[in-house]
Amino acid sequence: METGIAQVISLSPMRHRDDVLTGAGLLPVLPAFRELLPGGGLQRGSVVTTGDWGLLPLALAAGAVADGAWCAIAGVPAVGLRAAAQAGLDLERVLLVAEPGPGWTQVVASLLDGFDIVLLRPPEQPSAQLRRKLEAAARRYSSVLVIAGDWPGAQSRLLVADAEWTGIGLGHGRLRARKAQVVASGRGAGERTRSAWLWLPGPDGAVMAAAEPAGIAGTVLADPGEPLVSNG
Amino acid sequence: MTGQATAARRVLVLRCPDWLDSDSASSDRAGGDGVDSDRSGGDSAAARAFESVVAVVENFCPQVEVLRPGVCAIATRGPARYFGGEAELARKLTEAVGRAGVSCQAGIADGLFAAGLAARAGPTGLLVPPGETPEFLAGLPVGALGMPELCELLPRLGIETLGQLAALPPAEAASRFGPPGKLASRLARGLDPRPLVPRPPAADLSVQLEFDPPAEQSEPAIFAAKALADQMHERLAAAGLACVRVQVQVRCADGQELDRLWRHDGLLSALAVAERVRWQLDGWHGAAGIALLRLVPDQLVRATGRQLALWGDSVPSDRVARAAIRVQAMLGHDRVTRPVLAGGRRPADQVLLVPFGDNGVPQRTADRPWPDQIPAPAPATVFGVPLTASVTDDSGREVTVSGRAQLSAPPARLSADGGPARVVTAWAGPWPVTERWWDPRHARRQARFQLITDDGNAWLAALQDGRWLIEASYD
Repeated sequence: METGIAQVISLSPMRHRDDVLTGAGLLPVLPAFRELLPGGGLQRGSVVTTGDWGLLPLALAAGAVADGAWCAIAGVPAVGLRAAAQAGLDLERVLLVAEPGPGWTQVVASLLDGFDIVLLRPPEQPSAQLRRKLEAAARRYSSVLVIAGDWPGAQSRLLVADAEWTGIGLGHGRLRARKAQVVASGRGAGERTRSAWLWLPGPDGAVMAAAEPAGIAGTVLADPGEPLVSNG
Repeated sequence: MTGQATAARRVLVLRCPDWLDSDSASSDRAGGDGVDSDRSGGDSAAARAFESVVAVVENFCPQVEVLRPGVCAIATRGPARYFGGEAELARKLTEAVGRAGVSCQAGIADGLFAAGLAARAGPTGLLVPPGETPEFLAGLPVGALGMPELCELLPRLGIETLGQLAALPPAEAASRFGPPGKLASRLARGLDPRPLVPRPPAADLSVQLEFDPPAEQSEPAIFAAKALADQMHERLAAAGLACVRVQVQVRCADGQELDRLWRHDGLLSALAVAERVRWQLDGWHGAAGIALLRLVPDQLVRATGRQLALWGDSVPSDRVARAAIRVQAMLGHDRVTRPVLAGGRRPADQVLLVPFGDNGVPQRTADRPWPDQIPAPAPATVFGVPLTASVTDDSGREVTVSGRAQLSAPPARLSADGGPARVVTAWAGPWPVTERWWDPRHARRQARFQLITDDGNAWLAALQDGRWLIEASYD
C-alpha cells in the first residue's frame, strides 16, 4: 500500500505554488494585524505562535484566505466556526482535521504541502526533532504554520497580553465585544516588539483595529447603556 | 430531422426516488422538502448504498451507466431481445429492484434525456415506443431541460414547450442562444446531446496504475484515482476531446474484476472521479488486494470549452485536493472535513462537517431565522459535548432557576470541567431556551448565561435539568 502511494506521488507533476502569491513571500493578513507583523503579512515558510487557542489564530488566517489561500485547522475539535466566519475567515476554503491522531506530525506535514496556512494545536508537546521536521516542511512548501501553544523555534510570537469584554455587567447586558492588546515579537536580531489594540472580536464578530484605551475605554463603543467590565 | 444515423439509441433509465430528495445537483428535486433526518450522512453514504441497486441492474445488462446516486441507465437493445421486449424488460427490472426493497421507476425512450423524463412520468415510469420520442417530448415544458438560464429566457420569447423549441431551425437555436441553445435544440428533437466522435482516435486515452504489492485497502486506489484522472483529463484535453462517460476498472489480485461506468460529460473534476472510485470500492469486499486500477474514457466527443464552468470559485486546487486525500488515506474518509454553516440554536448545532469530497447540504440552513440564536459575536471555542460545570452563589450553594426564570441568587463562582472555582466578575442571563418542543426526542429546555471569570475567560453556560453545562468559551 505504501508502494502505491509513493508511485503516485512520483507521478504527480511539479507543484505550482503560484496559485496564491502575494508580495515577497508574504501571506496577507487583515488590516488590524498589519502593523504587528514585519512587512505587514505572514512570512511564508515560517512558524508563528499565538498563545492558547482562541479567536486570534482564526483571525490571523482570515486575510490570507480572503485572498484565495486555503487553510487547514488541525487538532482543534472544538473550533468555533461561526466565530471564525464572523471574524472574516471564509469557511469555503477551510479544511478541518479535528483529531489528527498519533501520527499527527505526518498529517501536519502533508497539510503543509497542500495548504497555504495550517493552524495547529499540537495534541502533545513535540520533541525538538519533530519540531524541526515540521519547520522544514513549512519552509519547503512555503506555507505558514500557526501554532496555538508553545514552539521554541517560532519566527514570530503573537500573544493576547490584555483583554476586556464590554457590554456585560452584573446581571445585565450581554457580551458585545472584546478589546484586546496583542503583542508581537520576532526572533531575529533587532526585531522590535510591536503591540496593537484590536477588537477581538468586535460587536458583529469582525476583527478590527481599536483605539488604545485611555481612561474610560467604554466610550469607544457607542453603547453607553451598559457598563464596561474589565477582566484583564 | 436529418439522417436517421444520428437518432438516439434506445435507453432505459431507472430512477429510485428514495435517493433523489437529497440530490441537490439534479433538476428533478421538485417535491422533495430536503428534510430527511435518517440520512444526515449526506450524498456519499447514499451513493454507496445505491451500489446495491446497480448490482441488481447489472444482472440484466452488464454495462450499467450510473448517472448519479439514485439514477442509472442501460441500453435496451440486447437485454430487450433477451427478456422478451422492452415492456417485459422494464417490468422484470423494476420487480427485481423492488424485491431488493427499493422503489423505482423505469422509463424507456430514444436517448438518455427522453428516457430520464419518461422515468419520471407517472408512478412507475413510461415506455415511449420507438420513433415517438419527439412527440413525447413536444408536450413537456422547457423547464424539463434543466438549464436554468435558458428555461427562464425561452418562455419570455414565447417558447414554452420542447415541441416549440424543436420546431425552431437548429441553426437558429444555436446562433441565438449559443452552445446551450444548440444542446437544448438537440435534446428537444430527441437526439443525443452531442454527436459522438465517429471513430475512436488511434491513441489509447486510457490510464492505469498497477499496485505491486496489491493494495490491501481501497484508500491507496482512491488516492491513485485522483492522479490518474488528472492524467486522463490531460490526455483528453490535448486531443481536444471530452468523454461522456468514464469506465472505472478495478482488477483484484485473484483476477476478479469490478467495472463500472460513470457519467462524466466532461464535467467531473479529477477529485470527483476519485470520489466515484471510492463509491465503487466501498461496495466491494474482495479478499484479495487491488492489483490494477484503470480509467477508460468512453464515448468521446469534441470538447466544447464549457468544461468545469459549473464549478464554483472554491473548488479545491489539485494541490489542496491531493493533500486532503493523502490525509484521508492516513486517517479515514470522515476525519477530514469541510465546514458548512447550518442553522440551530446551540452553538454546536450551527456547523455541519462534511467529509472532504462529499457534497454537503445542511438540513437546517443558516439563513432561516432561529429566534433564540445567540447574538454575535459567536464563541471562538464550541464544545461538541458540553463541559460539566458548577456555578455557586456567595454562600457556596448551587445557583438554580425557577420555572419563571427567577434566579436563586447571583452567580459568584464558576468551576468548569472539574477545574478550580473562579470568581465570577460579570454575568448576564438567564435567557430561557425551549428548543424543538414539538419533538420529544430532541426537546430541550435550558436557561442560558454568559459569565466572565477573574482569569479573563468569557463562558457560555446553560442550566439544563438542574445541571450546569459549559457550551462554549469566547476568547
